[in-house]
Amino acid sequence: MTAVTANEPVVAPRRYGNLRRLFRDKLAITAAVLLVLLILAALLAPWLAPNDPYLTNTRLRMLPPVWETRGRWEFLMGTDGLGRCMLSRLLYGLRATLMMGVVATAIGGSIGLLLGLFAAFYRRLDGLIMHLSDILLSFPAILLGLSFAAVVGPGMTAVVISLAVATIPTVVRVTRASALVVMGQDFIEAGRSIGLDDRTLLVRYLALNCISSVFVYMTLRFGQVILLGSALSFLGLGAQPPVAELGTMASAGRNELFLAPHIAVMPSLVIVLLVLCANLLGDALRDMLDPRLRHT
Amino acid sequence: MGVHLLHRAALSIPVLFGVLLLGFMLLQLVPGDVAQVIAGPQATPEVIEQIRKDLGLDRSRVIQFFIYISRVAQGDLGYSMINNTPVIQELGEAIGPTFELMLGSLIFSVPIGIALGTIAAVNRGRALDRIIIAIAVFGVSMPVFFIGLMLIMYVGYHWELLPFLGRAGPLWTLDGLAHAALPSLTLGLIFIGPVARMTRTAALEVMNADYVRTARAKGLAEHTVIIRHVLRNALIPVVTLIGLQAGYLLGGAVVTETIFSWPGVGRLAVGAILARDLPLAQGSILILAVSFIVINLFVDVLYGFLDPRVGKR
Repeated sequence: MTAVTANEPVVAPRRYGNLRRLFRDKLAITAAVLLVLLILAALLAPWLAPNDPYLTNTRLRMLPPVWETRGRWEFLMGTDGLGRCMLSRLLYGLRATLMMGVVATAIGGSIGLLLGLFAAFYRRLDGLIMHLSDILLSFPAILLGLSFAAVVGPGMTAVVISLAVATIPTVVRVTRASALVVMGQDFIEAGRSIGLDDRTLLVRYLALNCISSVFVYMTLRFGQVILLGSALSFLGLGAQPPVAELGTMASAGRNELFLAPHIAVMPSLVIVLLVLCANLLGDALRDMLDPRLRHT
Repeated sequence: MGVHLLHRAALSIPVLFGVLLLGFMLLQLVPGDVAQVIAGPQATPEVIEQIRKDLGLDRSRVIQFFIYISRVAQGDLGYSMINNTPVIQELGEAIGPTFELMLGSLIFSVPIGIALGTIAAVNRGRALDRIIIAIAVFGVSMPVFFIGLMLIMYVGYHWELLPFLGRAGPLWTLDGLAHAALPSLTLGLIFIGPVARMTRTAALEVMNADYVRTARAKGLAEHTVIIRHVLRNALIPVVTLIGLQAGYLLGGAVVTETIFSWPGVGRLAVGAILARDLPLAQGSILILAVSFIVINLFVDVLYGFLDPRVGKR
């Protein structure tokens, strides 16, 4: 940082040309807006859905989307193999998939955050916590998914547990790394010397200063969690039919892939959009707030 | 090096223990009395009791766990509840195809990924760099099943270029190769993005090094500098990162095998879990975990060879 002039932003590091920054930001803003729209669509699914997502109709099976010749206006996105409204199912499916991702990331993230803070704050616990998270880290997420599905039986619970568990060690590492930097700062020592208790130090001084890095990482992680979760659902280990969930819907569409490709393609495209937005937003946030994360 | 490797190996012991415990737990979930099932419906109580003793079912859970470990060590993973075949035999038939699939995907995705990553790094900030980054971000945002389904629909069904169902034989036969092409392509495509990203980051870091400036200063041609000085050093972290991504590849393989009815371990595991064939599920999860541990140890050894500084610290 040399000679910062008044009209320049101080927060964002000037490592790219202005044009590039603008391009990136535009992309990030688009991603953020799309993500918000997707979340709103999921939240408002019961009001937005034009039809009952679970109502089957054997005479209206595999209708194509409205822009194709056989399409009908009541079913904007066509119907699936059982004659259910695709648009309604996509909205409800998005709701289920987002819920899965948010719950898993939140559970795994908060446990990881807590453990990471403890590892940095109480140096006695550091070795133990890091060893445990190393062990967990060497257990690939897909194996966790298969194992939990084998033990508790296929279902949403198994998927959420395994995704949360797979998220814990990665968040522990990110939190600890950024908490150790904070622990080296003078204000921690200052807080100690004015007689603050551990809880205040941990929450007010340490946690609040690490939270932005951890949040950025969790945005990046969210995309992966959605991908993994929908893959597990696709395999039949997640949400069970007739529940509308994007991965399960794509899997069901395999049966009619050649006759009515939209049944498998549409839920897959929604997943791509969701994950792409999360990844773009996460990348941009990381570059802006915390370039150090680049290497983790 | 030796110490480093030993440390890594030691780390995999708790993992192995955890997996064994999981496998043991899964077998405990098998409904009904195992001895009764083995003895058959007409067996006398004495015979059943004898079988219980032979299997160690009358001992405590802890002893049973150790009996289980020793049986696994001897390659006895029990019998599939559905086919009644030895689990180890089913796994033996499935591990080859999984290995083929992984090999087939790595053989093109790693070189392409490294090439793209290097090109991006060399052209940092220019249009080419941005295009490659965009491709990579797209790549890591794609569900593997979507790529697989698209390839099946277009390349396999509409254009009738390649078969898309099952495996037809070893890779060196023409038919075998043709059947392996689409699954390998599917799995490889999701791997190009991560490899390109990692290579770009690694290459950018190396390009700032003093020895690269020296190489340029002494008048070496740009391609010599990039290939001999930058790439060779950038590849070291890339190798480890590829090792770390083995889990990602494994996840992709499970899905790919299921879509293409490829007779590998992943498909076997999923099928077993869905059919509640717990002994087979136990065996396949165990073998997947062990292969993952072995791959990681192998990558560590390789890393030691590429970068002799490792382990001397």
